[in-house]
Order: sequence, then C-alpha cells, then structure tokens
Amino acid sequence: MELLTALAVGALFGIAIFQMLRRNVIRSAIGIILLGNAINLFLLSTGAYNGLAAAYTDLAGQRSDALPQALVLTAIVISMGGLAFILAMLYIVSARYKTTDLDEVTGLKN
Amino acid sequence: MNDTLVLLPILIPLTGAPIALLLARRPRVQSGWALGVLLTALASSALLLAQVWRSGQPGGYEMGGWQAPFGIAFVGDLLSATLAVMAQVVLLMGVVYALGSKDKVIGYPAFYVLFLTLTTGLTGAFLTGDLFNLFVFAELLVFSGAILTAISDDPYGTEAALKYFYMSLLASAALLLANGVLYVSYGTLNMADLAARVAADPTQPLLAAGIAFLLVTFMIKSAVFPFHFWQPDFHAAATTPVSAMLSSVVVKLGVYGFLRMTTLLFVEQAPAIGALLVGLGIAGVVYGGLGAIGTHNAKRMLAYSTLAQVGFILVAIGWGTPLALTAAVIFTVNHSLIKSAMLMLAGVVASRAPVKTASFQVVQGLGKYMPGAGALFLAGGLALAGIPPTNGFISKLTLFQSGIQAGQWWSLLVLGFASIFTLIYVVRSFMRIWWQPVVGFSYGSTTYDAAEIKAKPGGDRLLAPALLIGGALLLGLWAEPLVSLATAVSQWLGDPAAYITAVLGG
Repeated sequence: MELLTALAVGALFGIAIFQMLRRNVIRSAIGIILLGNAINLFLLSTGAYNGLAAAYTDLAGQRSDALPQALVLTAIVISMGGLAFILAMLYIVSARYKTTDLDEVTGLKN
Repeated sequence: MNDTLVLLPILIPLTGAPIALLLARRPRVQSGWALGVLLTALASSALLLAQVWRSGQPGGYEMGGWQAPFGIAFVGDLLSATLAVMAQVVLLMGVVYALGSKDKVIGYPAFYVLFLTLTTGLTGAFLTGDLFNLFVFAELLVFSGAILTAISDDPYGTEAALKYFYMSLLASAALLLANGVLYVSYGTLNMADLAARVAADPTQPLLAAGIAFLLVTFMIKSAVFPFHFWQPDFHAAATTPVSAMLSSVVVKLGVYGFLRMTTLLFVEQAPAIGALLVGLGIAGVVYGGLGAIGTHNAKRMLAYSTLAQVGFILVAIGWGTPLALTAAVIFTVNHSLIKSAMLMLAGVVASRAPVKTASFQVVQGLGKYMPGAGALFLAGGLALAGIPPTNGFISKLTLFQSGIQAGQWWSLLVLGFASIFTLIYVVRSFMRIWWQPVVGFSYGSTTYDAAEIKAKPGGDRLLAPALLIGGALLLGLWAEPLVSLATAVSQWLGDPAAYITAVLGG
C-alpha cells in the first residue's frame, strides 16, 4: 500500500507539473488542481500508516494520527478557493486577449 | 502563558473585515471603519511590543487551551512584535492614502475588506508559532493581495495578478510540502518544538528537502533574485495604496521567514543557508539596481529597487553575526517606511498626469505643478540611497559596520558599488519628473502636444507619504530607539533556547 501511494503521489506530481507548463489556460488550471491533489495525498500519507485504529474511538490498537487529515482538510478548502479565483482570472484574461494561449498574453511586456 | 494581547493584533482586523463588508452600502462609513480598525489594531500591537520589550519574555497564546506542541500557538517575541508594529503602521498609512485617493478601485465595496484581510494575513504570519498556521495566513495574504491587484484601475492588473497568483500557488505548494516533510521527520509543526527536535536529531534524511522547500517558499514571497520576475509587473500594476503595501511590508514576510530559519529552526545548518542568502542577495542587489536604472516607469523602478533593497537585507541575514542581524532588522523597518512613501509619491504624480500612468515619458516635467511632492520625493530618494540625515543612512551604516566586523570585504565592495546604482536611479527619476521640461508623447491612439500638457487639478493627497517621510527623517535624526530595539531583537534571536523554553513552558 505504501508503494502504491508513493507511486500515485509521484505520478500525480509529474502530470501536474507537465500540465502546468503547457500554454493552454485550461490545461494549466488542470495542472494546478492536480498539484493540489498530489500534495494533499502526500500530506495524508505522512500520517496514514502509523496506526491501525481510528483516532477518538475505543477500538484496541495503536491510534492513527489525526493531524494530517486536519491539514488536508484545510489545504483542500484553501486550494478550492484559489482554483475558483484562478479560473475567474483565466476567463477574464482569455476573453480580453481572445486566446487560450498564455504565450499570447503579452500586455505587460510593453 | 495565555496572553490575549498576542491575539488582538490579528483578531481586530479579522473581525473588522466582515463588518466592513456589511457596511458596503455606506462607503464613507466603511472607509472610516477600516481606518478605526487599523488604528485599534496598531494600538494593540504597539502595546504588545511595549509589553514584550519591557518584560523580556515573549507573549504567547495557546488556542483552545491546548498545550503548546499539540495545539496551535501564537508567539509574540520581540522580532514578531516589531515586524507586526512596522506592518500595521505602513498599512494604516495605506488606508490614509486610499482615503485621499480618487482611484475607481477604492470605491469598490470589497476594497477595504480586502485591505483588512491583508492586514490579518500579514500580522498573523508574523505572530504565529506554528508552521501550518503560517501557511494559512500566507494564503490569506496572497489571496487578498492578488484580488486587490486584479481589480486595479490599470488594465494589466488582472494579467499581473494571474502571473503572481501562479507563482504564489507554487510557493504555497512548496510550503505545504515543507510542512509534510518536516512533520513526517519530526512529528511536530510547532516552530519551537520543531527547532528543539531538529537540533536534537539533524540526521533525518528529509531535513534537507524541508529546508529547500522552505527556502523556495520564502524566496518567492520576498521576490529574491531567481524568483523575482513576477514582482515588477505585479507591484507596478496594482493601485497605488496597494502597491505601496506590497512592495514594502508584504515582501518582508520572506525576510521574517529567513530570520526564523537561520536563528531558530535550523541553527546548525545556518552557515550553509547564510552563504546561499549572501550570494542571492548580492545578485539581487546588482540585478535590481541595474533593472531600476533601465526602466521607463517610476513605479516599476521602485519595484526593481525593492529587489535590490531586499538583497541588502538578505546579505545581512546571511552574515548572521549579532550586529548583522541588528542591521537586518533596522534595514527592514526603514525600507518599509521609505519604499511605501516613495511608491505613494509616484502614485501622486501619476494621479495628476494627463494619462494615469507613472511612465517617465508621461510624467516628465509635471513636477513643477507639485513642489511639495518633489521635496518629499527627494528626501525619500536620499533615504533610499542612504544619505544622511535620513534613516536609510542609519541602516546602511550598521550594515557596512557589521560587514567590516565580519571581515566580508568582497561582498562589501560589491554592495558599495551597488549603492551607487540606488543614487543614480533616484536622482535620475527626480530630475526627469521635477527638473526637465515637459515633452509631448503619444499614448495609445491619442497624441499629446507638449504645449497643452498640464497637471490635472486635485489628484491624490500627500498626507500619508508626508507622514511616512517625516517618520523616516525622524528615525534618521533620532535613531537611538530603533537601534536599541533592533539590538535587543538580535540578542533575542541569538538565544533560540530561551524562545523554545518560553513556548514549551520549560
């Protein structure tokens, strides 16, 4: 299971960074979503395999660590807000320049 | 150690922001409310600073009564309190400037709300004692700053905000990864606890990765040399009161992070981090100085100048001697005052230009209609270059003194040459705006003839920059309080064990 998680985190990071570097605005937004998910999965894996029983229950066995889950929840909420904002900005920018290619958004260069 | 005073500078703007949103239909009441909230917040952070300085003990607050390494702790030590006061003084001046500004964006219902959340994010990031909480406050800061720029009057605001937001999403990603990496290695996110555990066991394989991620985060936050390219665009496209905040106090978040990293979290690894910071700082000083000389827009010039001035601070942090840390703190505070005032003055000039831009071509010669702004700009420019009797002189003096004491002759030589760049670009911009004759220019499809160009009446008010420049001159002539405060800060920074005991309760 650890190996599977590690591979999934690695693959997600790879795809996310590849997509973020594309010029299309939609693809770069997808890259950002994937990057957030890759990091969240990584954060979850920092505490997921330390215990067997859920925290705050009466089950026997070593309690699992609840803190990474709290971190992931916070990070999910924040990245959702960021994604909404970035999609809005991408919409405005691509409507203004009538293109979905970020290389053609060159107003600041002049 | 439950001291509510630590929470107040964060809580007051945080509760003030939604109430300001409720007042959106009454713009005058809303702006007055924002001013009042910031004044109260500043009073509370000044109280905190006075208490911490007098008692010699950091104030702390543990949320919900959970003991320090387990719950979320807020820690106000002397460095945090000093930076919180500095940030809130400058932010208060930003609101004062916004009150006297005629930009359309000031009238938006969300403007003051976002200004207050910006205050919350910055103050919270300085006062928190928890690495994950630092991420949350930094995100609040980034969101408020990016939205404030995106709604700017400048048509390129959205584009600049988009660029900045991509970069800071990467910075937040790096900070989150650093959180995860350090948590899996040391099992804690409380900064004091983390510092103790890192010192006890520096052989964890992931420690280097954690340090690298934190460094990247703070480098993007402060626009340090290889991560700087978004910064001139972003700071120049924002509306004046916002860009004055972004380029002065918001970049200090990274400076704070570097200070915490080298003096608390990773004391053993500090020489390596310091060497990197000296190298990048010098690169930033030279590159920023040359960039500022090469620009054609006053606001862009000042944004590049921030790159250089942050470089000076980084070099001081990199040297890491007690005197160098004193110099870093003095430089940080003084640069915030000067840079915000200078950007406001550039904004005042732009607000009276026929086309609202700070491009030298447009504003050239317009200075003869505003001699007051000219005097302030000259004083601020000399402060930026470090000419007595301004506070910039005090910061450069302590910085060079610490360099001589540390025997860093080569870096001193480069810094000395690069200081001349500062003098060149501030004097050149002053001469272009105030001394040279008006020239005609074409902007978009309209052509303006030299004979018919006049400064527009009205424009933004000079009160806020005048107060800031007054503060800068005062701190130059009567520098003793700030110097002794900075000396005390650097003594505190030299004793991380005391911080750790104070937070973890021995």
